[in-house]
Amino acid sequence: MFTPTLLAQVVVNGLSLGAIYVLVALGFTLLFGIMRVVNFAHGAFAVLGGYALYYLYGQYRLPYILAVPLSALLVAVISLLLERCVFRWFYQKMFQSMIGLLGLNMALVFGSVIIWDTYERAIPPAFNGMLQLGGVILPLDRLMVVAIAAAILALFWLFMSRSRWGLAMRAAAQDVEIAEAQGIDTLSTYRLAFFIAIFMTALAGGLYAQIYALSPFMGDRPLVVAFIAVILGGMGSIPGAALGGLILGFTESFLSTFYGATLSAFVSFGVVILLLIFRPWGLLGTPE
Amino acid sequence: MASVIGAAARSTRPRISALHGLVAGAALLLALWPLVFGNKFLLALATLVALYAIGAASLHLIIRTGHVSFAHAGFMGVAGYVAVLSQMRLGLPFAAALPLGCLAAATVALAIGPLILRVTGKYFVLVTFLFGEILRLVFTEWTAVTGGSNGIFDVPPPAPVFATPLGFYYLALGAAVLCVGIVARILGSEIGRTIDALREAERLAECSGVPVIRWKVAVFVVACALAGVQGVLQAHYLRLIDPTTFSIVESLNLVVMNVIGGMQRLAGALIGALFLTALPELLRGYVEMQRVFFGIILIIVMAALPGGIIEIGARLRALGKAR
Repeated sequence: MFTPTLLAQVVVNGLSLGAIYVLVALGFTLLFGIMRVVNFAHGAFAVLGGYALYYLYGQYRLPYILAVPLSALLVAVISLLLERCVFRWFYQKMFQSMIGLLGLNMALVFGSVIIWDTYERAIPPAFNGMLQLGGVILPLDRLMVVAIAAAILALFWLFMSRSRWGLAMRAAAQDVEIAEAQGIDTLSTYRLAFFIAIFMTALAGGLYAQIYALSPFMGDRPLVVAFIAVILGGMGSIPGAALGGLILGFTESFLSTFYGATLSAFVSFGVVILLLIFRPWGLLGTPE
Repeated sequence: MASVIGAAARSTRPRISALHGLVAGAALLLALWPLVFGNKFLLALATLVALYAIGAASLHLIIRTGHVSFAHAGFMGVAGYVAVLSQMRLGLPFAAALPLGCLAAATVALAIGPLILRVTGKYFVLVTFLFGEILRLVFTEWTAVTGGSNGIFDVPPPAPVFATPLGFYYLALGAAVLCVGIVARILGSEIGRTIDALREAERLAECSGVPVIRWKVAVFVVACALAGVQGVLQAHYLRLIDPTTFSIVESLNLVVMNVIGGMQRLAGALIGALFLTALPELLRGYVEMQRVFFGIILIIVMAALPGGIIEIGARLRALGKAR
């Protein structure tokens, strides 16, 4: 059962799935950590990212390496409109944001149904080849997903830890009032955080749609996963979300390959519940 | 916050008779209107509203302790499945199956409550979210007993009298009045003040000798048992029980009812139940467009009235005073 070939396959699958989950979870935790917004519309932005990639890469045949970031950028730019009309009302309001953004999710998902109908579409794979390394066969397109996600995450980490904007964001996350008193323009900081969060989610949505299938209801799974990954790592914690996403991707890939999807779901939910009871602030979060 | 509650408590004394009159009038109206208008669609809608009022009001009881449960529909499902199975497999009468179902939901709540009620705020939301998913997975995967995702068909009507839409409406209305009455009675009593104390200042309540966890568990158990009433009745109304009726979407629906109506008052939960059950039905016609409109309405209500629909009253009063 545990042959090296299969094991390598499981690891690569886990890594690519984990990379996508990390991107989704980071966006989620960014919105929560900085604006205290529980983005129940997160899955809908992933869906939009999927359709953007479908058109740019699947239909208009842009080079893959260009189409992926461009489609995410497109969604993020258009979403700035939603930031102005919808999200701005819900900053620092946890419960109201939950319900209001649930409404946004509904509007976006069923809006997509009206435009694109419910049937599933496929985004053509970037590569069909396999990489052979000493008897171990690795699918190239999965490796590509890992590479793209790793590049984006590295950029994101650099931005958050080195740039002035990243510093402003972390300051606003810690204490809004003091950050404002120090001359940080919180409104544009929020807008930037929103833009980055949606960019990463839309990117992940595109990659996810390429691995599985694209439909307006595709976003439910990424949303639940983002939720769980963020809880696992600690609400609002950026390294926590990254760790949570990776753990979840690996667990899912491993358990569902060897023991079936149902057991995988039971185990991951059960473990997270136990974690929440005994260490509610998650693996890398800080207790309040 | 504390001063607002204090003011509300002071002002209820003189208003209580007017409130009683209002409630009695509303109950009379709800009981008599189907005899005057024979509209089948409105009757079905009213039955659903009555059923959801039970779920929303019982969830309100938990919310008042400061915990927002996302597993409420799961408990409803436990009661529903136990009642339906005991009726169809063991041949128990409805009058025995209903309490048995509620007892089952209460037992699950009693088992899990002491563990999960220790976490608060957003963490409680997340724990119950996951617990609700686990319950749904059990309903879906335990095929031999629950019939899997297909569910169980041909659930018999509670009694021949309740087989007609009108008969069932009265059953649902009666159950709703009873359950909402129980919730209102609990909230209006000494226990209600304990509940408010738990939410507003848990530490202070504990220092004043309130056994915090014990009260929270007690309230949680009662609320889940009451939610069971909706689960059982809904299965009999739809003549079908399946996992989708008890999924996270349904739990979320109940939370939305409470938030959109107003989380601080029982009336808010009832307004929410009416708003959220009636609005999608009235927007019917073109299904996708209806969901889009519904979503937009949720956004607008939450953005304009962060305290829920019940806030309209306070806003109007403030407007009247300003003049």
